[in-house]
Amino acid sequence: MTMRTSAAGVALMLALLALGLPSLASAVAVGGSLYVKAKNTRVMESPSPTANAVVILQPGEQVKWEGADPKNKQWHKVKTAAGKKGFVFQSNLSTTAPNMELVVEDKGKRQVNPAGFVASGAAVKALSPGAVEYGNKKGGDHKQAVAQLQSLEKKAKDVSTADIAKHVKDAGLFPVVGAEATAKSGAAKSKSKGGT
Amino acid sequence: MRAHWRTVALAGLGLLASSCKGVTWAQVAQKAGTVVNDSAAAKKERASCEKLDVEPTVTEEYAIGSAMAIHWVQGGGGLMAPTDGAKGTGVHDLHEYLNVVGKNLGAQSARPTLEWTFGVLNDDKNFNAVSTPGAYVFVTRKLLSELGNESQLAGVLAHEIAHVVLKHSIKQYNAAKVSLCKTAVTMEAGIPGSGGLIASTDSGGNLDLDGDSALLGSLTEKVIEFAESGNDKEQEYEADLLAAKMMLSAGYDPDEYIVLLRKTTDGSRLGSRHPNKADREKRLVAFLNGLKPSQGEFAELSLQGLRSPPLKPELVAALKSPSRGVAKDGK
Repeated sequence: MTMRTSAAGVALMLALLALGLPSLASAVAVGGSLYVKAKNTRVMESPSPTANAVVILQPGEQVKWEGADPKNKQWHKVKTAAGKKGFVFQSNLSTTAPNMELVVEDKGKRQVNPAGFVASGAAVKALSPGAVEYGNKKGGDHKQAVAQLQSLEKKAKDVSTADIAKHVKDAGLFPVVGAEATAKSGAAKSKSKGGT
Repeated sequence: MRAHWRTVALAGLGLLASSCKGVTWAQVAQKAGTVVNDSAAAKKERASCEKLDVEPTVTEEYAIGSAMAIHWVQGGGGLMAPTDGAKGTGVHDLHEYLNVVGKNLGAQSARPTLEWTFGVLNDDKNFNAVSTPGAYVFVTRKLLSELGNESQLAGVLAHEIAHVVLKHSIKQYNAAKVSLCKTAVTMEAGIPGSGGLIASTDSGGNLDLDGDSALLGSLTEKVIEFAESGNDKEQEYEADLLAAKMMLSAGYDPDEYIVLLRKTTDGSRLGSRHPNKADREKRLVAFLNGLKPSQGEFAELSLQGLRSPPLKPELVAALKSPSRGVAKDGK
C-alpha cells in the first residue's frame, strides 16, 4: 500500500464530517457486542479459514467480542448468543447493525429470525411483474431488454455462496462469505448450487 | 460513474421538475398547452403531495428498480449476449464471473439480504456504470475493457453497490413521486397512473407499482430524468468511501480504486454537480490514511493481507469479441 501520511486521523474526521457520513462505527471494547455482517459467517474452532465451523451465523445476529487472536489479529474470538465459542474473520463482524429490511415483516413490528429467513429463500427477487408488463407494452428494445434481464437474473441466481467462496479462495481474497448456510459435522462439505 | 444515456422523458414533464425558479404553475401550463388548476383546493393537494416522500417498501423498491433496469439495458444497447451466434435473449457466460465478484461484495454490504444482480451493457463507447434500487448494477463493455485487474472491477461494482446501499436513487424516486403528484393536481392534463399516485397521499404514501404499470412507467421515466442529471458531489464522495470499505472488507487493495478514478474523465455532461476526480482521490487517500486501529477496540477494517488478483482471462477474451446488442425497434 502507498500514500499513507501522518495526521491521518484528523484528515479522516474532516473527511467524514464533510461527507456527512455517520461515524465509522461506535467503539466496541472486549466484552462488548458485535453484529454479524456477512452471509454465512463461520465461527471456527481455531483462527484459520480451513478450520472446522462450530456454527454458521447470518447478518444481524450478535456475538460477544472476546478480543483478537494474538497471532492472527484478523481473527477474533467470539461467543455466540447460544453460548458457542470460536473465531470469526474480521470482515464478518461490524460494530453497526446491517440493514435487515428483508427480514422484517409487518412494517417492523415483527422480527424474523435471520437464519430461518435465509433458509426459506424468501429473499429471492425477480424482475417485478409490473416492470415486465411496462417493458413488454413498450415493445421493441424494451421488450428485448425484459427478456435479457430475465436471463441475467437466472444466471445471477445460479451463482451460489459456494461459487463465491471458491473464487475467493482461488484469488487469495478474504474468506468472508461462507459456502453454506449451516454448519455440517465432519470435514466433507458438498457444494450446493443456488445457495443463499 | 452515473448514467450518460439519453432516454425518452414524458413530453412536457421535463419542464415541471420540482424547482419552479420564479416560474408560476400558470406559465408552465401555458407552455405545456394544458389547463392549470390554481384553486385553493389544488394548492392544498399540492402540499399533501409531500406525504409521498416516505421510505418505499421492498416490493416497491424492486418494482421501480426493475423498471429502471429495463431502461438502462435498453439505453445501453442491451446486455452482452452469448457469442455463439444464436439470436435470442440469452446473456454471455461472463456474467457468472461478474456476479461472483459482485455478489461477494453485496453479501458484505450493509444491505446483505438484497438479491444483487450484475450485468454488462453492450455500450462500447461510454466508460460508465449505473445501478438501480432493488439491487441491479450494470457496467459498460467500454468500462470493463479498460480495467487492469479484479480489484478495479470490484471498485466499480462496490461504488454502484454503495449507491444502492445509501439509497441515492430512492431519493430521486421519492422526488419523482412528489413532483409528478404536484404536476398532476396542478395541470388538468392526464399523467398515466396519476390517480393512484394522488390517492396514495391519504394512505401512507407507499405505492402498489406492480398493480399499476402506467404509474410505474410515469415514475420510471421521471426518475431516469433525474438520474441522468447525475448524483451530487456529496453522494459521489459517500459512495467512494463506502466502496473503499467494501473493497477492504473483501480483501481487495483499495489503491486500485484510485487507479480506477484516474481512468474517469472530468467535465462530462453530468456537469458541476459531479465532483472532479482529484477531489475524490484526495478524500479517498485521507480515508485510507486514517485507518489505524485504536488500542483495545474492535477494528472492522485493516490494510493487512490485501490483494489485486488478475481478471479472469475468459472475461478479457470475451470483451475482444464483437458486440451484439438488442434488435432495433423498427417502429
